Amino acid sequence: METLTRASQPKLKLRGIGKEFVLPRTGEHTVALDSVDLDVARGEFLCIVGPSGCGKTTILNMIAGLAKPTSGTLTIDGKPIEGPGADRGVVFQDYALFPWKTVRENIEFGPRYRIGATMSRQERNERVRQLIDLVALNGAENKYPYELSGGMRQRCAFARALANEPDVLLMDEPFAALDAQTRVILQEELLRIWGEDDAGADRRTVVFITHGIDEAVFLADRIVVMSSHPGRINEIKPVALPRPRKPEIRADTRFQELVEEIWQLIRHEAYAATIKA
Amino acid sequence: MKANAFNGKGMPAGARSDRSAVWPLLLSRKVADLAIYLRTMIIFLLVWQGASLWIGNPILLPTPIDVARSFVELAGSGELVSNMLASVWRLLLSFVIAAAVAIPLGFAMGLNRILFEMIDPTVELLRPISGIAWIPLGLFILGIGDALPTAIMFYGAFFPLLINTITAVRAVDRSYVNAARTLGVGEATVLRQVIVPAALPGILVGARLAAGAGWMSMVAAELIGAPSGLGFAVEWYRELLMTPKVLAFIVLIGLMGYLFDRVLRALQRGMTGWAEPRGVS
Amino acid sequence: MTRLADSHLLRAAVLPVTLLVVWQLAVMLHTPSPRTPLPTHVVETAWTLLKTGDLPLALLQSFGRVLAGFAWAAAFGLVLGALMGTYRAFDRALDPLVESFRPIAPIALLPLAILWFGTGTPAAAFIVGYAAFFPMIVNTIHGVKSVDPQLVRAARTLGVGRFTILRTVVLPGAMPYVFVGARLALGVAWTSIIAAELAVGAKAGGGSTGGIGQMMFVFYAYSVDLNGIIVCMVSVGIVAMIIDRGLRRLEYWMLPWKR
Repeated sequence: METLTRASQPKLKLRGIGKEFVLPRTGEHTVALDSVDLDVARGEFLCIVGPSGCGKTTILNMIAGLAKPTSGTLTIDGKPIEGPGADRGVVFQDYALFPWKTVRENIEFGPRYRIGATMSRQERNERVRQLIDLVALNGAENKYPYELSGGMRQRCAFARALANEPDVLLMDEPFAALDAQTRVILQEELLRIWGEDDAGADRRTVVFITHGIDEAVFLADRIVVMSSHPGRINEIKPVALPRPRKPEIRADTRFQELVEEIWQLIRHEAYAATIKA
Repeated sequence: MKANAFNGKGMPAGARSDRSAVWPLLLSRKVADLAIYLRTMIIFLLVWQGASLWIGNPILLPTPIDVARSFVELAGSGELVSNMLASVWRLLLSFVIAAAVAIPLGFAMGLNRILFEMIDPTVELLRPISGIAWIPLGLFILGIGDALPTAIMFYGAFFPLLINTITAVRAVDRSYVNAARTLGVGEATVLRQVIVPAALPGILVGARLAAGAGWMSMVAAELIGAPSGLGFAVEWYRELLMTPKVLAFIVLIGLMGYLFDRVLRALQRGMTGWAEPRGVS
Repeated sequence: MTRLADSHLLRAAVLPVTLLVVWQLAVMLHTPSPRTPLPTHVVETAWTLLKTGDLPLALLQSFGRVLAGFAWAAAFGLVLGALMGTYRAFDRALDPLVESFRPIAPIALLPLAILWFGTGTPAAAFIVGYAAFFPMIVNTIHGVKSVDPQLVRAARTLGVGRFTILRTVVLPGAMPYVFVGARLALGVAWTSIIAAELAVGAKAGGGSTGGIGQMMFVFYAYSVDLNGIIVCMVSVGIVAMIIDRGLRRLEYWMLPWKR
């Protein structure tokens, strides 16, 4: 009975989330987010797409605890989110790998230094080794970030976030800085690392932000389409494509149609962004 | 003047430094640089020798040979080393004290806005008053001796170190701090494991500037109020009208200043080699 | 009340005011002889010096020397710097000299300057010129080198002669760095003149060289007027600030494309 309730309870609950900025000098109000309601289920891969300025990064930062909403409530497993924590791992757009630490040191950072860390050095090394295998960075353990390619840095950033075994993984346009080919490869790698072959409820919950609609359709279970001015949810589209997602699925008609539908939702805003400052 | 023609000693005359050259360009480039350096210095020394012979007054302008000779003399008599040690010791002492005060203070001011606003105005008021202006007051309080140059050097080294530390701490990329926080670490760890390493390159730049500033203050302070040291030696021999020795010490001051800078640069590169230039993501 | 506590001005004033008050009280409770430096005495002395015109005169004398030395340094520095920045051969030839002399602090040459020029304005001006030279030349070279070579090539294809290019393309393009160099040079020159005047005063036993550094020395060695010394120190600081801020303003105003 209990596992059923747990499984059906949303992992993340956003109710009436709003974010307003007041410019100190002019007193001008800018509404970045306007009353966003969102449930994220356990083990779900959720993508958020939308034009620039729609507030998707703001939502992510709020879930991560790096920003506070000006109105509304935000809970994880029913508990309010107060600040950043090891239960919500983040992969940043610019990777944010510590340049003075090696790949290994970056990955073990969370398990080693987080509040309430209890792992012994052996356990830690074992975990790091597993992760390095998982993200296929063998051989690069003792390299520094500046010695790595973009794709390798991204893998290291994954591994670092995963090392803490967070319940929720937040990813802010992680592939934006990569070339198109690497991006495609890493999308497939991400799904593999996420464990899309495994059973649903044991997987981590992922919230993934991207500009790329085809990326979102390839990766997600559901896609949140947002609009801007003010930032709000336009529509939530489920992605009924089978898992595991094979690369060929990109050529599938259903895939293409979904991409087109979503594009139509945001096209005019994307256009407007290119002609207005 | 042909900007591209190269007629240094390391390469055949008429050879051009263009990319199609098959030579191991890097090695010959270094040799060529050294050759040009030597050529300039030799010309300089020759001009100097000529000028001093023409002026004919060894007190006014001794020949390079005289200076070299007095160098050897001073080295032999131990004066070179003893004065050098006195000055270097003061530099080290003042630098260590300056670092011990400026770096923690810089961190505190860089991290805490309120503290910064309280202390910075006073810092900005004191900074334009160069260490040298403090010498008369310093002479009064400390008198002639070891303490005065050290205090002045401390003052000179303090500000670059403080200001660079504050800037370095403030410039730490927010992303690193955010990344650490989302990995669940506490604030003390963030400071120790993230902010300190991230600010280190900037702090080391400040250290290099501080050492240079301290060294420069040393000369002024010792000239006026010290019983030993390189600045003192320069003045001492001037009063004795022994110009070759004066020049020998001046050259030594310059040389040591240069060496310190090189050493600190190497240290900077060694300790923070991971700090790649921006724009390489 | 919280509004006041939040104000930037209040926070800025807390430390200096506290220190001044402590200083004043501490001395007053001990032995307030008129020689003891006290904030109140300092203010009195400052007022006297201003009224008699001694202070402004000394400052002007020193600053005059600074300008004289700076003019030479700027002329040499700009010309040589422009040449070195443009022609690699020039750069390679002269750079060893510049880099070898740069670590030799201006003050270290003072005894030499006294030897050559005697104790007086020429020695001080020499030191100032030497001090101001290096920031000027280093920054000019950097400024010239920072000019986009494409601009120069574009001018060449329009048939413009080399020297005209230097004058109309390179030098304006190098202006931002030249300004920085000038600001640094004047700052260093000001510091050097104080040191030079102090040292000259100390060696020449006062004399009539004038200037604020010399005034400071007189206060130290003759009238033993500590308040006077402090007045001089503060004026030195104020002038340094004015130079720096003034030049920043000038930069801002003259280089609108940098804003």
